[in-house]
Amino acid sequence: MATYLVAAPFFVLFGQAVWALVSRSPRAPLPWALSISGGLMLIIGYPAWLRPGSGAVDATSGFYLTLLGLLYLALGPYLGSYLEHHHGGRARLEASLIPVFAAVMAGITLAPMGYRFLFLWETMTLLGYVLIALDGAASVNGSRWFFIASRVSGGGLLLALILLARGEAIDGTLRSLVWAGLLIGFGTKAALFPLHMWLPRSHPVAMSPLSALLSGGMTKLGLYGLFRSLTWAGSPPGWVGWTLVVLGLCGAVYALLRGLAEDDYKAVLAYSSVENLNLLLAALGGYLVLHTPLFLYAFFVHQLAHALFKSLLFLASGALPSRSLSELGGLWKTLPRTAAYTLLGVVAAAGLPPLAGFLGEWYLFRGFLSAPSGSAGPGLLVLGLGAVALASSLAAALYVRLFGLAFLGSPRSRVVADAQDARRGTHLGLVLLAGPLLLVSAFPRLVLGAMDAPLFPVLPMFAAVTVAGAGLFAHLRGRRRSEYGPWDCGYGAPSPRMQANGLGLSEQLLKALPLVQLRVRSLPARGDGREASQVHVDVRDPLEDAYEQLGARYGRLARGMQRLLQSGSLHVYLALQFLALVIVLVVIWP
Amino acid sequence: MTSLLLLLLAPLFSGSIKGLKAALQNRRGPGLLYDYRNLWKLWRKDYVWPRPATPVFLLGPVAAVLGPASAAVVLPVLPGVSFAGDFLVLVYLLNLGRTFQALAALDTGSAFGAQGSYRELLLAALTEPGTLLALAAAQLASGELSLAGLAHLDASNALVYLLVLVALAIALVAEGARMPVDDPTTHLELTMIHEAQVLDHSGPLLALYELAASLKLLVYVSLIGLLLPFPRVLAFALALVVTGVALAVLETYGVRLRYLRVPDLLSYNTLAGILATLGVVLRLRN
Repeated sequence: MATYLVAAPFFVLFGQAVWALVSRSPRAPLPWALSISGGLMLIIGYPAWLRPGSGAVDATSGFYLTLLGLLYLALGPYLGSYLEHHHGGRARLEASLIPVFAAVMAGITLAPMGYRFLFLWETMTLLGYVLIALDGAASVNGSRWFFIASRVSGGGLLLALILLARGEAIDGTLRSLVWAGLLIGFGTKAALFPLHMWLPRSHPVAMSPLSALLSGGMTKLGLYGLFRSLTWAGSPPGWVGWTLVVLGLCGAVYALLRGLAEDDYKAVLAYSSVENLNLLLAALGGYLVLHTPLFLYAFFVHQLAHALFKSLLFLASGALPSRSLSELGGLWKTLPRTAAYTLLGVVAAAGLPPLAGFLGEWYLFRGFLSAPSGSAGPGLLVLGLGAVALASSLAAALYVRLFGLAFLGSPRSRVVADAQDARRGTHLGLVLLAGPLLLVSAFPRLVLGAMDAPLFPVLPMFAAVTVAGAGLFAHLRGRRRSEYGPWDCGYGAPSPRMQANGLGLSEQLLKALPLVQLRVRSLPARGDGREASQVHVDVRDPLEDAYEQLGARYGRLARGMQRLLQSGSLHVYLALQFLALVIVLVVIWP
Repeated sequence: MTSLLLLLLAPLFSGSIKGLKAALQNRRGPGLLYDYRNLWKLWRKDYVWPRPATPVFLLGPVAAVLGPASAAVVLPVLPGVSFAGDFLVLVYLLNLGRTFQALAALDTGSAFGAQGSYRELLLAALTEPGTLLALAAAQLASGELSLAGLAHLDASNALVYLLVLVALAIALVAEGARMPVDDPTTHLELTMIHEAQVLDHSGPLLALYELAASLKLLVYVSLIGLLLPFPRVLAFALALVVTGVALAVLETYGVRLRYLRVPDLLSYNTLAGILATLGVVLRLRN
């Protein structure tokens, strides 16, 4: 019975995929298929997470099924109304591929190590690549980055799984090699710094619900893989934990500074995903070094919180009339619903207390505080506290900038007036993410499940802050007021162009912590001076430049190799096939 | 308990600094109770609503007061709530207030509000790591993770505590927007940091902001008081007097740092935080 129940969401999703290919209205049952399968996954996964050993799946699978289930549940109604303006072959393909993608992601959390896992993993990346590229010419470049990253990830994973599948005792250099493969394989998918470059380039160019699915769901599977590897490959060598902590903390700070220099609304969200994922990797690394469960609480709580608030932010971004921050502004007036949900997501994402985003950080801090004092090695992990504090204050700056530029102030261009607020289906999708986010914020034991974690009085704080805040807000709202223009130093006719723009808000932060280089060019006023002079700021990222040089060099090498391999000579092809056969035989020979 | 105490004391504290400054500058001050009267006057007024504003405009002052007020709940000056890791919650509740204040300033669509916001967020990003590390070092040196379990300053932890006090003192002037980081009495918009964010808030909203500013100062004063080697309430009173006098003297005889030099000052906060932590980790004793 239990096995049938586990199979049920997959039947529903594949049923929708087939239906979409053969039916006249491919999209009609898509919302229901996604939501029902999401609900079923919750029914299967959540009890297993709450009481390990009781369900048909184990606790870890249960957690990730719950996470994905919550996402699918909300994505169903949202997709239903979001895809309304897609027609023809593209609509058919989307209605068929999205459920398969969803099913494969859920399948990964259940697959045993080995061939089946690798097959599902590669299918997931391939489908992700196709789905991103479906969004038109502008997204092809981004999907290419996604594809390259998935090759790197697949390569590392293949190496590790082949070595593991031999079933021999693994130790010494071999163990290091296996873990290097796992780190590259899963780390790339979880945007481990500096293998994260693909994420901010590919997630923003996809359509919003897909960005939510990728950032909220798929990246978590990289974390799932690393966590699972602890049972598949045994305890890792010491350097793995330290690598994760150091790279994770550096990556979090880097991603935020890079995001502060970004003009694309969704790219800012993507950089924030990189930050959160790197913090989660640092939490896992901290666990490997110090073996305190506090890091695991951070790992799981923050994963669920991030999945919820990042999906919420990405789904809400679907209503924006433009992705460029320099064209937005004052959207609260045209999109009040979207703005309210975004504000909720922003408060959670900035790690501010009454919401769940803070709880994961709290556990992370507690974990770093548990480092043994008196020892120079692991004791130094306490300094990680400072890095997390820097990251969280930069995250607050990032989100203030994002929300302030897009939703507050006056509109910076005409596109704002034409924006349309969340309608019935999209609104329901946002509610289905905001609800669990608030629920988890008030009752964190719901996520902590069977873990006996220390906790601070979350509910009293949540209640006190929200009730007192709402009361004071309502009182002020009812007071008498008179409308007037903003002060602006007494200037009578402030124009929207006088507001700070994207780089204006972050320039000084970027100069104080100089990671990206800013180059200011000013164009003088033209003609009779009636046209204003303009200032352009170029952002250069040394790391990205290095990557591009590396890419160019690899491209040259690959073209050379291609000329050599695809020479058109049958003899060469036959020799290569023979060589491949020999390699495979050597590897699998008992 | 402590939040009530701090809420009641906040106007007295800011008022007495004003009085002290006036005395030092050979002026006749407005009297110690002036800030109570001023807040009451502002609270009863109507307020001005800038045209581009949204509900966030009101959430700014609300959160600015709620943040420090709820943070003060975990301060053990008077008996209150205490749990392991409470100092982290305190710092982040302060952040809640600051973040909404920055958002509310952007909400008016004025150039000056935005300028105040990004300046304040820069200061916050530069102060927070050092402050958190310093507090963590004090907690680790005491062997307890709750503020109520903080040990007093004594010979065994003097080195760490001195560094922590340096970090907290710098955090106090930076977060409390006082000299030499910011000048609360400035009237020149271009040089403002904190004041630029509240330019468009008037009446009850301004009253909340003024209350929030002195409340935040008091939270830092209480943190400093917790480290001093006296009974809690006495140490708090002492910290209050010393800080008040120090701020008045600093703002009378000192000058404000040029804004671009402020990060240099704040780097001492980070340095002190890191050194204090290393002192605990490596068990350095004086």
